Amino acid sequence: MTPADHTRWGDDLGAYLLGALEPREAEELERHLQGCERCQEELRWLEPAVQSLPEAVERQEPPPQLRERLMAEVRADARPAPARPARTRRWLLKPAMGFAVLALLVAGVIGYEVGKDGSGDGGGSTIEREIDGIAVKMVQEGDGGTLQLANLHQPPSGKVLEAWVLREGEVEAVQPLFVPDRHGRAEATIADMSGVEEVMVTEEPQGGSETPTGEPIVTMSVPG
Amino acid sequence: MAVRREKAERLADEELMPLVGRHDPEAFEVLYDRHGGVAYSLAYRIVGDRAAAEEVTQEAFISVWRSGARFEAARGSVRSWLLSVVRNRAIDFLRSRAGRAPKLDFDDDSVLEQRPAEEMTEEEALRRETAAEVRGALGKLPGEQSKVIELAYFGGFSHSEIAQILGLPMGTVKGRMRLGLEKIRGELAEGLV
Repeated sequence: MTPADHTRWGDDLGAYLLGALEPREAEELERHLQGCERCQEELRWLEPAVQSLPEAVERQEPPPQLRERLMAEVRADARPAPARPARTRRWLLKPAMGFAVLALLVAGVIGYEVGKDGSGDGGGSTIEREIDGIAVKMVQEGDGGTLQLANLHQPPSGKVLEAWVLREGEVEAVQPLFVPDRHGRAEATIADMSGVEEVMVTEEPQGGSETPTGEPIVTMSVPG
Repeated sequence: MAVRREKAERLADEELMPLVGRHDPEAFEVLYDRHGGVAYSLAYRIVGDRAAAEEVTQEAFISVWRSGARFEAARGSVRSWLLSVVRNRAIDFLRSRAGRAPKLDFDDDSVLEQRPAEEMTEEEALRRETAAEVRGALGKLPGEQSKVIELAYFGGFSHSEIAQILGLPMGTVKGRMRLGLEKIRGELAEGLV
């Protein structure tokens, strides 16, 4: 290889490290690097210059809620999945659940709406409601469903959201735990919707709970 | 089982990463506390507004949480790897937001200097020194070299796009990038002597 060839590769190295080569050029350079120790050495020498660029940026203090949201999501993610479906004792036999039961009963009275493509004829169905300013949408497709929420407030520090379903009179936790994004939107996937009569969301301590411990922020009846 | 926060704080980044790979929230929290500030600052520098910088930083850290095991110590420091994840996310964000013009200025030390002294560890002091050196080195670069570096690194432009923006031959753009990086590298090396 002539010195002129190497000048060409040498100039490419800077652009490569800055992420400024076109994909095809980057691939070509990577192939060359595999067999060229001189270029590998130059790359290693130049790399710290690019790695140092973020250090020169003016420091901005990240908002504390960024850390809170991030850690809530991480802790929710880290929570080990239960060995068996988190099927809890019957609502009605658990005195501490009185307010939740009441909410479920109230929701039962309020009823539900079937909207858009809602048909209940074996295809997909969508139920939409607004509950205390929270837009709730339950989309059912096949055996499963997705609970979509909007206009949510961020849960207090140390809390996450947990979804529940009421099936055959028993309450089951829905995995995973979740938190709203910065636009107040969140989504929970319910793998098995068969026999589900109610869907509910509560604020729970990080790591979640085996049974709902707080008043539901959302309760929605599901058509049978 | 998760390590205790106090124990995680005593671990080096490279020791934290295997724990993050095993989904240890305490290890991840320490990682965020160490690098969240610079990550958010970098995201803000690239995307130019706070809400977007928050989103980019959150996405980047979540991707690190979910792919922590992919970090390879042989390829550089955790901090560099993490910042490259942030940078890539931020550039993707810019590209998805059509028509945004990148900011071309480098900011001064004033905000950095406002941070309380008790927050400074030896490592942080060293980073500040590096930051000052890099800023110094960038300040000494001819404008034509610092501009192509900024457009590429913080603006996410390819060399051919930069050539078009500045009305220069592509070879000239690449040459200026290389020369600029050489000079920054030289300054850093001098600082280590």
